[in-house]
Amino acid sequence: MVSRNRIILSCTYWAFVLYIFIPLILMIVMGFKDSKFIGFPIKSWTFDWYISIFSDYEIIYSFGYSILIAIFSTLISVIIGTWIAVLLEGRKFWGWSPVFGLMILPALVPGIISAIAFRIYARWLGIEPGMGAIIWAHAVHNVPFVTIVVMARLSTLPKSQIEAARDLGADPLLTFIRITLPYLIPAILGASIFCLLLSFDDFVRSFFLGDYNATLPVLIFAMLRSGMSPEINAIATIALILTAAIGIWAERFTRKTNKDNKI
Amino acid sequence: MPEYKVGLENITTKDAYLNSRPIWGRIINFYFYKIFLNFITFSPRRQFLILAAFPIVWLLTQHLGPMLQMLRVSLLEAYPVAEGTPHSFTIDNYIRFFGDYIFWMPFFRTLIFATIFTVCTLVLTYPVAYYLARHVSRKNQMLMLLILLIPFWVGEIVRTYAIMIFLGNTGAVNLVLKWFGLIERPIPFMYTGFSMGVGIVYLTALYMLLPLYSALEKLPKSYTEVAADLGAGAWVRFRKITLPLTLEGISSGCILVFLISTGFYATPVLLGGPSTTVFAETIAGFFHYAGDEWPTGAAFAVIMFLTALIITFLFYRLMKVLRKGDT
Repeated sequence: MVSRNRIILSCTYWAFVLYIFIPLILMIVMGFKDSKFIGFPIKSWTFDWYISIFSDYEIIYSFGYSILIAIFSTLISVIIGTWIAVLLEGRKFWGWSPVFGLMILPALVPGIISAIAFRIYARWLGIEPGMGAIIWAHAVHNVPFVTIVVMARLSTLPKSQIEAARDLGADPLLTFIRITLPYLIPAILGASIFCLLLSFDDFVRSFFLGDYNATLPVLIFAMLRSGMSPEINAIATIALILTAAIGIWAERFTRKTNKDNKI
Repeated sequence: MPEYKVGLENITTKDAYLNSRPIWGRIINFYFYKIFLNFITFSPRRQFLILAAFPIVWLLTQHLGPMLQMLRVSLLEAYPVAEGTPHSFTIDNYIRFFGDYIFWMPFFRTLIFATIFTVCTLVLTYPVAYYLARHVSRKNQMLMLLILLIPFWVGEIVRTYAIMIFLGNTGAVNLVLKWFGLIERPIPFMYTGFSMGVGIVYLTALYMLLPLYSALEKLPKSYTEVAADLGAGAWVRFRKITLPLTLEGISSGCILVFLISTGFYATPVLLGGPSTTVFAETIAGFFHYAGDEWPTGAAFAVIMFLTALIITFLFYRLMKVLRKGDT
């Protein structure tokens, strides 16, 4: 009886795994097909699509452009997100809940609405659409994710360490720099990887705040609107492998540091 | 040497600390550092204000600002406001929505689709989360969860494209169906509500899976074991114990997925067809051209956001009542 349930449940799990993976595997496979036409059957294989995207200036450029945007926006959101986390995880103050609510707001606003709000606000601030506007929008959008991760880590910091530092004569600022900050490093690193990927993968905000220079997702979107081609498979495969590899590495890294700290 | 020893006895803890770490010692003895430190730690009150000032300013101007500005623009008669003319406020932009039923279809379609997709995601991921949390050993749990996390690192557009290939006329689903002899001609899955649903469930499954998993993981196994000892069948155990105690995970997962799926733009454009235009596309339409349509677009975005918020709030209250009623 119990075992029958178990078998059904495990089948559901593996069916779900298939549902998650088959489309991606299919996409990777189609990138090696020696024909302009996407779909089965596959008669012969080729690397031509990869060679052709590496010689395409526009694609290489948008790749670098996306990475640059991701790095700058991550730097901003990590600094601000950590600062907000330190404020919120300190003593409770009057108006704590509204501050927390405001902090989480950008993560809860549906994509299109947040993109439009940023577009309107950027115009009001006088930020021209383009790289600066995208960096700013990504930075604001990613702050809540940093804050949540850092707050979780900060709540596990033993108070005794701070007290010990203060007893030994360190001032509050030094205590923060030498005790709190090193303790937060794994969380900050994890959060920055997450932000890098969020920013690199983001479409809506880049689409509405960008100028004629396209980030990688915007470029893929534009190519898709004019029809499918194996070139898109090749680009998407490279983006997939890159993001998945970074994601897995970060996941393992945070898991490892969490384990190290428990001992 | 003897003098040195005498000196060592008089060294305070702080000095010893400074000597052992010359860089930090030099920094904290630096004149400007001291001035800065005295300035920020003059009193606990000032210390707190300095800590809080920047985040509060940031939150108000960057998190709340765009929302308020969107609200303001939605009430303007024309945007950008021509120089020299006063700002004239109007609610015409909102009336335009209620006055023209052309806009109602995409609006209600978005809400209905988002609800259906949320329910589908819940039904699809609940058994998976249940299996992971209850039937898998601790060591394998992390690995099996990680397998599911990998594709979620990949971006929205790439995964939408993968679904396009998956469901296409010559895609995997049609191939398999043909192979089994179930169909002769490929089923046109693409550019329908179905393909959009598959795509959106594919994109949002993780946001449902993780809250469900953490809720189920917290639930002690002994609860259901006790119920089984007392003679409750599998269905009763699920209905009376597991489901009520994971309502919190269900409600947060549903809220996340609902809010996210109302905001998709690229996925409906790529996977949907002319008969499945969602409100996001309507809103975006007002922003593709120069400024004078912006107030209408902003008003529509405000309507969409408020409706989504009200629905999630009502849902949250309902879940709270259910939780209280059952426990």
